[in-house]
Amino acid sequence: MRVVIGEDEALLREGLALVLGTGGFEVVATAADAVSLIDRVRELAPDLVITDIRMPPGYTDEGLRAALEIRRTIPRIPIVVLSQHLSRRVALELVAGQAAGVGYLLKQRIADVSTFRHDLVRVCEGGTVLDPEVVSLMVARARADKDRLRQLTARQAEVLALMAEGRSNASIARALSLTERAVVQHVSNIYDRLGLPASDDDHRRVLAVIRYLARLAPLPVSGPRVKVADGQVDGMTQSPACLLIAAMVCGRAGRVKRRAALAQRRRRRS
Amino acid sequence: MAPSATGRSAVARSLGAALIALAAAAALIAAIEFALYPGSGAGPLWALDLFTVSGLVYAAAGLLAWWRRPSNGLGVIMYGGALSWFGAALANTGQDVLTSVGIVVATVELAVVIHMLLAFPSGRLRTRPARWTTAAAYFTSTVLEVPLYLFAPQNSPRGMLAAADNPALTSAGTWLQRVVGCGIVAVTALILNARLRRAAPTQRRVLLPLDLYGIAAVLLGPLTIDVIEPLTGMSAYSGAAMELIVLGLVPVPFVVGMLRGGFARTSEVAELAAWLGADAALRPSLESALARALGDDSVTLAFWLPGRGGYADASGRPLPVPDPESGRGVAEISLDGRRIGAIIYDAALTGEPELVLAAGRVAAIAVDRQRLTAELLASQEALRKSRARLVEAADLERRRIAQNLHDGLQTKLVLLALEAQQLAGQPSMGPAAAGAATALRERIDAAAAELRELVHAVMPAPLIERGLGAAAEDLADRMPVPTRLEIGVDGNLPEAVSATAYFVVAEGLANAVKHAQASELGVRITRDRDTLLVEVRDDGVGGAAPGGGLGLRSLADRVDTLGGRLLVDSQAGRGTSLRAELPCGS
Repeated sequence: MRVVIGEDEALLREGLALVLGTGGFEVVATAADAVSLIDRVRELAPDLVITDIRMPPGYTDEGLRAALEIRRTIPRIPIVVLSQHLSRRVALELVAGQAAGVGYLLKQRIADVSTFRHDLVRVCEGGTVLDPEVVSLMVARARADKDRLRQLTARQAEVLALMAEGRSNASIARALSLTERAVVQHVSNIYDRLGLPASDDDHRRVLAVIRYLARLAPLPVSGPRVKVADGQVDGMTQSPACLLIAAMVCGRAGRVKRRAALAQRRRRRS
Repeated sequence: MAPSATGRSAVARSLGAALIALAAAAALIAAIEFALYPGSGAGPLWALDLFTVSGLVYAAAGLLAWWRRPSNGLGVIMYGGALSWFGAALANTGQDVLTSVGIVVATVELAVVIHMLLAFPSGRLRTRPARWTTAAAYFTSTVLEVPLYLFAPQNSPRGMLAAADNPALTSAGTWLQRVVGCGIVAVTALILNARLRRAAPTQRRVLLPLDLYGIAAVLLGPLTIDVIEPLTGMSAYSGAAMELIVLGLVPVPFVVGMLRGGFARTSEVAELAAWLGADAALRPSLESALARALGDDSVTLAFWLPGRGGYADASGRPLPVPDPESGRGVAEISLDGRRIGAIIYDAALTGEPELVLAAGRVAAIAVDRQRLTAELLASQEALRKSRARLVEAADLERRRIAQNLHDGLQTKLVLLALEAQQLAGQPSMGPAAAGAATALRERIDAAAAELRELVHAVMPAPLIERGLGAAAEDLADRMPVPTRLEIGVDGNLPEAVSATAYFVVAEGLANAVKHAQASELGVRITRDRDTLLVEVRDDGVGGAAPGGGLGLRSLADRVDTLGGRLLVDSQAGRGTSLRAELPCGS
């Protein structure tokens, strides 16, 4: 797979090249600033773009804006955005509109080579990958909004969070040491409780969950806006029953426990 | 400067009342005269009215001058001129006694014009020739007028003013009055000419037309009767009307020249002194008092700051000394031999620098007192600026440190973790060694995460990357308690302001989570013109100590440095609100 990298730090660029040197990736170009990143991508039409958020010349969010620009103008090119810090708004901006082939990960995830490569492959195949940290942030915000998500059991909550990260049933089963059948059962129960439309497509499933979480805890109206239009949420109903999903993660397990669970999951992924 | 009731002393207010009374008196006299003319048969009504109208013009000009320049005598002289016109107008009322009075004072207004010419612009007759000439003018218009009615019964109603009928004496008296009158006009012209030559060019532009007009007006009477009417065949009424109009309008250029022509008052000192003695609460600024006293709205008061070696305005801001070429004059003010300030004035408007210096001497003590305030404000401003620079430098340093840590150490840790993971993946590794390498990678990951938190605390990435709104949202997202957010700002804020606002939100939220036992938090960031308002509130137990902890105190210092303020409202049981107001004028 042909990859274009947008990263202004030489060290990290080399690190990425090292990770991608094997396993079917080929770095065809690197760009040290946002403008040349867009130029390289237009010119080379790669199979994957990996970019940092903070880039020259302003060292603010030029990389992110370049990524959004690429997604808007050449939607078929998958993009993974790396950052030293994760925020809910950036995640929602990235999955807004059409959400195929997008990833949002902490920079340090590249150290866990096999998981990172696996995530890249999923994005290349049109999947969505969100860092567990930002998913837990979204779930926490949704939960903070009263007790809508408390109907789920602790186990169902864990499954929901992994769904939001963009994992397949098999992957969730591995992460939680369950059988795939058990995961399917959990997913089906979650769907029932929240009124989400059943879908075998991992990607559509991610979007449904993320949008559900975003709706429970909307971003403030000012500032850059994220559109989570109803029409895009595939058939998701708005019945009160469907409002109960994500809060569960924390409702029962409690914050500390949930953190431990997330850390454990992360360890299991490696 | 427009006169304002609050800006004047009690004396000035009573002056206002007196002037209103005088205006009413003039109006009353004029009304009586207008009422009497129709039955008098003395001539066409419009010609008769012209006398009284001239009196009204004099009265209005005189009262205006009196009000605007109370210590200038010109207003009094003009009002006297008005009375002389009203008196002369009595000759046309058809009432015997009143007509007689009118005849007696018929030419006094000419003497008044001479008086005005010689007294302009101060209203005072400063030289002996001027005083003698003026006295002679009044003498000519009153005493030398006597033969014209004393020996000619036909010149007064039923001859009531006549003692004998002697045409020879009458014509001799008329001749004498003419000769003396012409002499007085000539002397006046000489005096005015001498004054013109001494005057500054800017003053000359005002004085010359004024003098010519005044002399012409005085000469017009005899000229009309003896020269113009015979030569042009103009009717006696037309000639009289022309004369009346020219004479009646004399005070207009005088009052304009006095108020706008750039002649400073000569005895403003009394009023300035009155200002100094006035109640401080009622006192307008020293600067505007000086502006009034000097008749120059553009007067600026500069205070000397010895520490800085330059001038400053009343609020301590540096004030450059104007270029002498710019037409601005600088009159230095000294007290006890040291320089304390300067009056910067319009050199073209205020012709006599001596006057400005005199005003400066009178105001010196008050200037020195205000100078101390200006000096204090200046040093306070300098201190505030230096503190602001410190904060900015510290922020810059924080950014640099955060960036360096992120680019250097953090990246290296990520790469180290990468290497450890690759070691773990080597086929040649035994399971135990591979496990150890993986554990090593995880520990490096943990270290990187810790470093990330540190970098975040030094200078949060969301603030740098996406501005205050996004950073505050990110903070709220990470709160364990539901946090409502209201953000009404865009990104256009100075860096020091947005960083300070961020730290207010961070500190407020952290304190609320730690101490308030709140069930809901609120953050509001709004902008009201040039002020950024940041508020963090909770519905917790309240009762936070007013002094606050160390974090709050250093935050208050930071806010203060930017010229803002930080308020904590925390009543027991009513929640806590932390509110910062930050000036953010760009």
